[in-house]
Amino acid sequence: MSTIILKDVCKSWGTALALININFECRNGELLVLLGPSGCGKSTTLRLIAGLETPTSGIVEIGGRDVSNLPPVKRNISMVFQNYALFPHLNVAENIIFGLKARKVPKKEQKKRLENAAELLGLSDFLKRKPAQLSGGQRQRVALGRSIVAQVSVCLMDEPLSNLDAKLRQEMRQEIRSLQQRLKMTMIYVTHDQVEAMTIADRIILIKDGVIEQHGTPEDLYNLPATAFTGSFIGNPPMNILTPDAPVMAVCSSLLSAKEAATPYFVGIRPENIKISGDSGIKVSVEATEYLGADTLIVCRSAEQKITLTVKGKADVSAGDHLRLNWKPEHIHLFDAGNGKRMKGSARGITP
Amino acid sequence: MLGALWLLPVIFAFWSAFHPAEFSTHFELFAPLTIDNFVRAWSHAPFPRYLFNTFILVTLILAAQFILCTLAAYGFARFDFFGKNIVFALVLLQLMIMPEVLLVENYRTISQLGLLDTITAIGLPYMASAFGIFLLRQSFKTIPKELVEAAQVEGVSAVGILWKVYVPLARSTYIAYGLVSVSYHWNNFLWPLVITSSVNSRPLTVGLAIFGAPESGVDWSIITAATVMTMAPLLVAFILFQRQFVQSFMHSGIK
Repeated sequence: MSTIILKDVCKSWGTALALININFECRNGELLVLLGPSGCGKSTTLRLIAGLETPTSGIVEIGGRDVSNLPPVKRNISMVFQNYALFPHLNVAENIIFGLKARKVPKKEQKKRLENAAELLGLSDFLKRKPAQLSGGQRQRVALGRSIVAQVSVCLMDEPLSNLDAKLRQEMRQEIRSLQQRLKMTMIYVTHDQVEAMTIADRIILIKDGVIEQHGTPEDLYNLPATAFTGSFIGNPPMNILTPDAPVMAVCSSLLSAKEAATPYFVGIRPENIKISGDSGIKVSVEATEYLGADTLIVCRSAEQKITLTVKGKADVSAGDHLRLNWKPEHIHLFDAGNGKRMKGSARGITP
Repeated sequence: MLGALWLLPVIFAFWSAFHPAEFSTHFELFAPLTIDNFVRAWSHAPFPRYLFNTFILVTLILAAQFILCTLAAYGFARFDFFGKNIVFALVLLQLMIMPEVLLVENYRTISQLGLLDTITAIGLPYMASAFGIFLLRQSFKTIPKELVEAAQVEGVSAVGILWKVYVPLARSTYIAYGLVSVSYHWNNFLWPLVITSSVNSRPLTVGLAIFGAPESGVDWSIITAATVMTMAPLLVAFILFQRQFVQSFMHSGIK
């Protein structure tokens, strides 16, 4: 069993708090993504689990064992680094079995595992090359190989794809996912790319400023964002977070209950849920359009606020046009204006 | 131009060494070639012994420097300890002191240790080289932290990390530094002159100076023949490994 549990983990450097009361559980065989903007503490969390940092307070458990103060090697983990951490003076084969040598695994076993991993990753023809002679994708595979041959059930990945180009990133993403499922690894994967997180994850933990914003499945995060930040971080383009000024209220007020309208709040609405209507709705002027092929992004302005919407195909509008926008009550998300949290008792926002 | 100027004495040394004594001060293109000077120089002074001494000396110093400087640089580059910056400043201070200033003090220390007139005595003051520590620390510091962490995750010990990660990655620095060290100590003169007094410990440079001293009469041909013998091993090594040297200097310098 290799369930990973963090209990009330805090980490600070001097007076700077990097992580505040992090609690979560990553189940056996699950792919958990730690997502967040840069500097939010997601990499620190991973390094705490790896044992490259020690928590200021709290407990890290792997497989039911408290490992908070154990060195990395005793935690039975493997790790893939952002820049692959390949040793430039060793060739591919030596790089892959580096850890096995350090752990004094018998030669025969080393060879067997190396062959298996090389075949699995399509590296068999490159074993004698040095890392400098490989492409980015191949280097990434070598790094993966090193974590596969360790044959431990927990694999930690620190932004493994951030140095690859977009197309390769997509391929490697699928490869990592299928590998993880085939080998039944428990994987914690750090990224700042929400698309990567959405496509690869069983569950996502969104972190901001050292605090967990939301922990849930990709669908949860998309459909039921727990905070305004989650809404604006997940989704491309991100959710519109609007202050309820007069023009917005003109559309919303009839859709809200009196109780909801009593506390100060923000209105969240996803770009794809906004419709252009002929006669009713909020009046806006178009500022810019971006044609993306399958759909078009329209950036509009109403008084002080920017509203982004997407429409299918090529939209027949251009900058300077005036439009009226409308949306359905079930697409409205309400967030408390004070703490940004999703307002309770509001069953809205559950889109089909 | 500067190179040509620098090369002149070398050319003269070769010219004079390979021709009979009467040609050593005037030039004639077809003067008869001879190796007689070498034979004479070789038999007049114990050059094989000097050569052996120098070889042992240079090897000893280089080995000691590599070991000491590697360990010290590793400490400075990777670990945090109390007073680290002050200690490092002290090491750098050593860089700014000319070794000649310490001649007397070093002599006293060596004498107290009872090592006078030994090869160890010639090498001892140079073994904990500040330059080496500084150079290796700089090159260790450029090694990505990720590589060290990767090794840590795989369970490599602190010594193992030094041996398997730091040292191989700093290879070009070692070559460059080794080169500087070997040529410096091969040619070093003043300190060996002061500390040695017998054939058993004298390196080539000192032996050559005594050989060429005015008291024993000046025969340029023989002196230049001895000089050529002194510098030949180093010169040959340089010419053979020229490309690697230049490359390793470039690697260790800019990265």
